[in-house]
Amino acid sequence: MKLHEYQAKAAFAAEGIPVPNGILAVTVDETVAAADGIGYPCVLKSQILRGGRGKAGLVVPVRGADTARREAARLFASEQGVRKILVEEAVAIDRELYLAITVDAVEACALVLACADGGVEIEELARTAPRKIIRERVDLDSGLLPFQARNVAWSLGLEGETAKAFAEVLEKLMRVFRANDAELAEINPLFVTKDGKVLAGDGKLSIDDNAMFRHPSLEPGRDYYDSDIAFEAAKEGIPYLQFGGDISLMCAGAGLATTVYDLVNYEGGSVANYLEFGGPNYRKAVRAMELCLGNDPKVVLIVTFGTIARADVMAEGVAEAVASLKPRCPVVVCIRGTGEEKAVGILRAAGLEPLFDTEEAVRKAVALAKGGRP
Amino acid sequence: MSIFIDRDTRVVVQGITGGEGSFWTKHMIGLGTYVVAGVTPGKEGRSVEGVPVFHTVRRAVAGHAADAAMIFVPPRFVHDAVMEALDAGIRKIVTVADGIPLHEALRIRAAAREAGARVVGGNTSGVISPGLAMMGMFPYWIDRVYKPGRIGVMTRSGSLTNEVTAMVVRGGFGVSSLIGVGGDAVPGSRFAEFLPDFQADPGTDAVLVIGELGGTMEEEVAAAMESGAFRKPLVAFVGGRTAPEGRRMGHAGAISGAGSGSAADKVRALEKAGALVADRPAGVGKLLARALGTASP
Repeated sequence: MKLHEYQAKAAFAAEGIPVPNGILAVTVDETVAAADGIGYPCVLKSQILRGGRGKAGLVVPVRGADTARREAARLFASEQGVRKILVEEAVAIDRELYLAITVDAVEACALVLACADGGVEIEELARTAPRKIIRERVDLDSGLLPFQARNVAWSLGLEGETAKAFAEVLEKLMRVFRANDAELAEINPLFVTKDGKVLAGDGKLSIDDNAMFRHPSLEPGRDYYDSDIAFEAAKEGIPYLQFGGDISLMCAGAGLATTVYDLVNYEGGSVANYLEFGGPNYRKAVRAMELCLGNDPKVVLIVTFGTIARADVMAEGVAEAVASLKPRCPVVVCIRGTGEEKAVGILRAAGLEPLFDTEEAVRKAVALAKGGRP
Repeated sequence: MSIFIDRDTRVVVQGITGGEGSFWTKHMIGLGTYVVAGVTPGKEGRSVEGVPVFHTVRRAVAGHAADAAMIFVPPRFVHDAVMEALDAGIRKIVTVADGIPLHEALRIRAAAREAGARVVGGNTSGVISPGLAMMGMFPYWIDRVYKPGRIGVMTRSGSLTNEVTAMVVRGGFGVSSLIGVGGDAVPGSRFAEFLPDFQADPGTDAVLVIGELGGTMEEEVAAAMESGAFRKPLVAFVGGRTAPEGRRMGHAGAISGAGSGSAADKVRALEKAGALVADRPAGVGKLLARALGTASP
């Protein structure tokens, strides 16, 4: 689960990492009051999860109450679904650094990434200046040792009090990373001010979904998802992605779902949504199909090849879903795996034609989608 | 022949009295796996499918010389279960649970490396040598998928494995050993770490890698081919070629990002190293035939 900037910064501040003064606002009036309180110039930062907020005009400096009001109104009315604005003091900066902690899956440890050129995305840095990225591996149990923090600080060319302040921020960021079960804790840019102080200009904190049970206060709300249906699916624990095409995918198994997504694209079709109806959700066919039909797709395409997710149980669920939801669009079914012999009869009785070959099912779905509604 | 598991591997099943544990113990035995003991704390003295149950792995190992552990416990208990197996001297471990916390997955892999052990999983169906034995959850009775043969298979996915392996069999081949490393971002063992075993296995003529976007495991396979460490023919399928960048599709380990981890990058690396890469599951049979036809014996 990706956290918003204001949440990441709250987690940073809780460990003692310096952050700019900021106030969270949810209305235009609140935004103006916050800006008045912080003083001008200040910065209005839209709290949405997509990257590139600056380029998209969603982070704007303001110099007075009038512009604060006008810009806040614009941001809240934008198509990006801005619901919260973080109002922050403008900081007089000398330079910007990059600092992050993530995981090293090969070496099985935490990995510190740092770069003297901050403010640029790490993917961009990896492409353009890979040698400038400083890496330091950290054992999860011993944690970051002081010499490692010094290694990074000096590699960045920091000196004196600034190097010391940076090393402290890094040690605290490691505590944030461990305490929050993070996949990624990133400060980009990390500001170095004209008077040598170090503070977090931005904040990204991504929590491991498998460890959410240890962080019950972090229940994601509607603003973490890109559609109402995606939010509904998440509440059910059903993996779901929203797209804009014609064919709703209801597939069991992440790898198979991804492959069916590819095959639909190869055949010239387009995907309305990706929904994983497998694993712990294979008995949720009715709910899964209801979510798919919410997109008003031209076809629902069901492809499974399960072991524990039994074919006969899934077929029964699909039959029940078709009977109760009465989809207006065709439903293409290719359900295989444990219990598939029994599944065939169940699907036929429900008026569906069971297919056994994934590519055949995909071709049929794409043809039906192109032919329009029957 | 096979890698990782055969008829002589002495398996202890941790979590044997649970629903999944007992169900799959029955099927593991059904295929021919030598399940010597089970473990569920507090249930020593019982038996499941004729297998004696112990309180702890140490007691199971002491009584029955188990040398491999099959773990069927819920994800948040997997770290403890793996450490218990390692502590009892077991160096071959399979854990299937989906949902192991990331930081615990890091600790599991770190501990296994330190002990010189192999942990396969989590978020996997496990390991199977069709016709011989398995540690995990495979519908081996579906013989259009789990036919014995001479192709080694490595995969990150469950249902996709059924899909693609069915195409191996449709192409006239069968499987020597299939290793499901699992779909997590930090699997206990990685694809390239099994290549030396497949290279040494006289029962394996070629290897099929079922990969997907995200991570660097496919690139590590390519590197092992380039360095000459792996020299048998290798065919691959990589899912997620049309996935939009930056969105997590499927497994936790699968996120497409610029620069590394995209399916296109993986295909490029594998092809450059001499692998044949299928763009769809149905293509693997033909590519295996081509790879074996042109390979030097």
